Amino acid sequence: MNMNTSARARTAPTRPNLTAYAFLAPVAILVVLFFIIPALLVIYISMTDLATANFTSDVGQMTFIGLKNYETLFSDPYARKIFFNTVFYVLVTLSLFNVGGALVVALLTAHINRRAGFFFRALWLLPRLMTSTVYILMWERMVADPPYGILNQLFGVAGYGTVAFNTNHIWTFVILVNGIIGISFGMIIFTSAIESISKDIMNASLVDGSTAMQRIRYVILPLMRWPLLFVLSYQTLSLLTSYEEILLFTNGGPGVYQTEVWALTAFHRALSNYFGNAQWGYGSAFAVVLVIVGIVLAILYLRIFRFRELVSEPKIENL
Amino acid sequence: MQVDIQNLTKKFGDVTAVADVSLDIRDGEFVAFLGPSGCGKTTTLLMLAGIYKPTDGTITFGERIVNLVPPRERNIGMVFQSYALYPHMTVFGNIAYPLKLKNVSRADQQERVKRVADVMGIGELLDRKPAQLSGGQQQRVALGRALVKEPDILLFDEPLSNLDARLRLTMRAEIKALQKRLGITSVYVTHDQVEALTMADRIAVMNKGRLEAYATPEDLYDHPRTTFIANFVGNPPINMVDVELAQENGQVVARCAAFTVPLDSERVRKAVAHGRKLTMGIRAEDITLGDDAALTGEVYAVEPLGREDMLDVRIGAESFFALATPQQRMRAGDRIGLHIDAERLQFFDPATGKSVLWE
Amino acid sequence: MSHAQRAPQSPQTPQMAEPLSTVADTVIRAVRGALITAAVLIVLALFFGRLFGPLWKSLNVDESFSQTLAGLASLLLPLAVYLALGMGARAHRKRSTTQAAVITIALATVAVAIFYILNTSQGAGAAAEQSSLQFAATQTADGIVVDAIEPGGAAELAGLLPGDVITALRRDPITLAQLESAVAESEPDTPFRLRLLRAGEEMQLTVRTVAVAVESAGLKLGPIAAAWIGGAAVALIGLFGPPGWAPYILLTVSLSPLILGFAWLAVATVSYRTQGLLPIDAQGNVGGLTLENWSFLGIGGEAPATPIWSYAANSLFIAMLMTGVTLVLSSMAGYALSRMEFSGRRFFLSLTLILHSFPAVTLLIPVYLVLLNLGKIPLIGPHIGFNSIGGIALVMIAFGLPFGVWLMKGFFDNISWDMERSALIDGASRWRTFWEIILPQIRPGLLALGIFSFIGGWNAYLIPAIFSIGTKAANLPVYIRTLTGDTNAVNWNQVVAVGVFQMIPILVIFVFAQEYLLNIYSGGSKGSS
Repeated sequence: MNMNTSARARTAPTRPNLTAYAFLAPVAILVVLFFIIPALLVIYISMTDLATANFTSDVGQMTFIGLKNYETLFSDPYARKIFFNTVFYVLVTLSLFNVGGALVVALLTAHINRRAGFFFRALWLLPRLMTSTVYILMWERMVADPPYGILNQLFGVAGYGTVAFNTNHIWTFVILVNGIIGISFGMIIFTSAIESISKDIMNASLVDGSTAMQRIRYVILPLMRWPLLFVLSYQTLSLLTSYEEILLFTNGGPGVYQTEVWALTAFHRALSNYFGNAQWGYGSAFAVVLVIVGIVLAILYLRIFRFRELVSEPKIENL
Repeated sequence: MQVDIQNLTKKFGDVTAVADVSLDIRDGEFVAFLGPSGCGKTTTLLMLAGIYKPTDGTITFGERIVNLVPPRERNIGMVFQSYALYPHMTVFGNIAYPLKLKNVSRADQQERVKRVADVMGIGELLDRKPAQLSGGQQQRVALGRALVKEPDILLFDEPLSNLDARLRLTMRAEIKALQKRLGITSVYVTHDQVEALTMADRIAVMNKGRLEAYATPEDLYDHPRTTFIANFVGNPPINMVDVELAQENGQVVARCAAFTVPLDSERVRKAVAHGRKLTMGIRAEDITLGDDAALTGEVYAVEPLGREDMLDVRIGAESFFALATPQQRMRAGDRIGLHIDAERLQFFDPATGKSVLWE
Repeated sequence: MSHAQRAPQSPQTPQMAEPLSTVADTVIRAVRGALITAAVLIVLALFFGRLFGPLWKSLNVDESFSQTLAGLASLLLPLAVYLALGMGARAHRKRSTTQAAVITIALATVAVAIFYILNTSQGAGAAAEQSSLQFAATQTADGIVVDAIEPGGAAELAGLLPGDVITALRRDPITLAQLESAVAESEPDTPFRLRLLRAGEEMQLTVRTVAVAVESAGLKLGPIAAAWIGGAAVALIGLFGPPGWAPYILLTVSLSPLILGFAWLAVATVSYRTQGLLPIDAQGNVGGLTLENWSFLGIGGEAPATPIWSYAANSLFIAMLMTGVTLVLSSMAGYALSRMEFSGRRFFLSLTLILHSFPAVTLLIPVYLVLLNLGKIPLIGPHIGFNSIGGIALVMIAFGLPFGVWLMKGFFDNISWDMERSALIDGASRWRTFWEIILPQIRPGLLALGIFSFIGGWNAYLIPAIFSIGTKAANLPVYIRTLTGDTNAVNWNQVVAVGVFQMIPILVIFVFAQEYLLNIYSGGSKGSS
């Protein structure tokens, strides 16, 4: 009898760990419903002519038109403008705020009194904690014409003439509005990276008689390569696809597509019924471009950063 | 409860952590798993606990093969190196937790926890949180938690290595006494040979996932089967010299680059029969210092250990540990004679590392 | 032995005591610093003004950012140069403070003179010439009233008359401020097609800009003296300013938009109306502080003017639903991924990671269809479909889950394995171990994720706005937006009051839980650095 059981023990196949699947099931269901199905659906819709006139929520009833929406997209003269708008917006906001500004704020707050540094970092977090509608309300008044605008009032006091911030300088403020929210993410990552630099290295450098600038240049920055790359890739994706603030602030205007970005176009075409004719199919074509960019960058990002962590195996086995 | 381990093997991917280990543990016996870190001793223990699943082989508790029995059905108690106390529960909560899981009634829980706590001398601490306890007290709580459900087998994973030296000595004696009193079969994993030698009935020495030896402490010390065991057991470590044994003038002499010394004993004769080139082991306590000796060396360093001085004596390129009383006032640079007790020598085959004296 | 016991000797290679710098050294150092500073700013201004800006212009991007930066660089140039001069002379303070101050002021004087000459010499200064239409006007309610025409100027040439009322540029209505800045920023000879009213009749005129000297050259002592005093003062700040203050000043300045914005919110919420940062009463005078804006709360016996509380309830419900469900689901999945062995684990881990960085917001179009179809499920459909609080919460929960799962996994990874093994050996099942032993250990993580989810739910605008119609499932941020929508006459101050009302819980959380908030991102990205 012992021999039998022993044989069974040796050859027993690994049973599926039902407990683990039970723990994962709710998340898995939501992921399928709101990530997997939509990702497939958006690709399909982009190949249909779904619009307000023939709208249906039944996938089987949509008219398949192949790649026609993409042909329209590539020949759309405004698509080109919107594309370069997006490149400009992401490039400038990312380099000057989400990465550059974040690094500067992290370095500055790391080199002052601890409590003060914490206080300033907390303040930088505020824009992210405000609801976008109130935050934008604030900015609308900031750039308004006299006598209401805050900046114009200050310019008046300083003796400068009035400036039409909300028309001629709107891009500057679109970038500021998003950049000021964007700083906090990188700031937090960089700060924790700076704080994790071993005290010994810092002390050694202090003993060597280095100045703060030298320490930043030769000790801190070389150790920041990975956090920098992480923030860069993560925030590129986030800037590329988020449009809530631009939607509320300029809605792509005030000129023709003056501040329109790619993600906002997808929204305008499909979800905003401003002209009363939502083009679901065409809007989805815009969205698919972003979905593909998103997936590619996300996979790339996985390859670069986290793979080692995945390898660590659980230290309790399922009997 | 007796435990039988047959051909136990554990692989993590391509890495073999435990290879083909077989041993039996008698009911009420205290067995220590001794070996350097990474030798597979903790992995073996965790397989006994049911945390890891054996890749091959069987573990039998009594009559029952437990390979696929989950930990909660094994009726074991375990004490961890980190104590693993639940920080959000009081001492009472910690000790009562195994009982709570067995649906023991509240009154019974109270009573049994109280009893165990009194045995462990922590009766006054029941309302505290683990963070408010000293290391020794935490250790007692962990032990109490392991004992409260009256386990068939007690498992210890280096339980004393986080304690300071003095406390370790006390706890060592207490655990040993408690185990003998309760008669619970116990497996004790440690890398500290002193702990293993002083506490265990039998010691399983492990190296690189394999079982090197399984014997009583005295047997391990006096009859090391391999150079690994000889090296690992004993403090200061055994002196090892590669020598060539030869007959000269009807006498056996051991020769190496640094010296030649005549030896005569039953062990030496047995070794000569086995071969000429051997590794010779001499324990420090088997070297006596004196003026009229066949060997002379120079004291290179003196380490006062309090009760005695440990000497590092150099003869040519060879280095020997020897012991001297503080009264001998040895100083670095002194020249001394070394007398080797030939009856206590160990001999190993340099190629296999196996003893030529003991099978 | 005795050597070692002696007092430690001075190091073998004592640092060479730097010789105190001479006056000539200091001047050279200060001038070099100022030149480098000026060069950097000039390069920046040229890069943004002449290279970066035109590049985007050629790609049809109507951006103003390059001009703003270029302008900022040239605006800051003199200040930076004065500062650099002072900082260059700092080392000289060791020798003689007075000498250092004298050198600094002397150099600053030279710099002021150079800037003045550059500014006034024809064609050399960027501000010497400006485009102009050569007429004076004032802004009225009807439009821009032309007051005076410069004789022989561009406006007269084009046929503009005093008394004309300019209403639009091409077809866009325009204010005087907008017109002035558009003219000022244009190249000379740019056509401006003005739509205007002359004696009640509408007509169009095209006026071409001409370049005019801003101010005639000539020595004016007042501005020179002001520039000199200002320059010397800045240079002295560079010389004597405590170095530790620089980060504080930089941080405060960079936060100024936020500070201004919050100041306005604070003033506006208790004012009749505001102009800039000033509260204004009904007569247009400074004053007019009132609590009237807060009457929407319906406190003090008045009937609430708006259904604020129902929106607030929706907001709260969405936020709490999000917090609760996100916490439970994320910690369960995070636990399984961190601590359990099952086939497909690697796949789930990679999927979580990919989704963690995948921008879910791009999927809103198909999610609309998913919600419509969920709404068709009998019984529960109406509660989780389109235009339901449940549906809105579900979408936001789902979008937040990859982050939550990853964050929780990170926290679980840090729990000792022995603790969990111990619980299993004590006789607990995996579920009980999770619930009774492990979850209590990651309270900080739960708190962080909970706060984060609550704020996310409370603040959500985009998803509630897209997936709700009317008031049924709309929350406070959506309501705030409808208040400023272009169909209503906007009562800005009441909008601000609602906005501040919406921010109260956030501010409370902010005050008490900053540390958790500051830790959340680094917790989520643990191991990346």
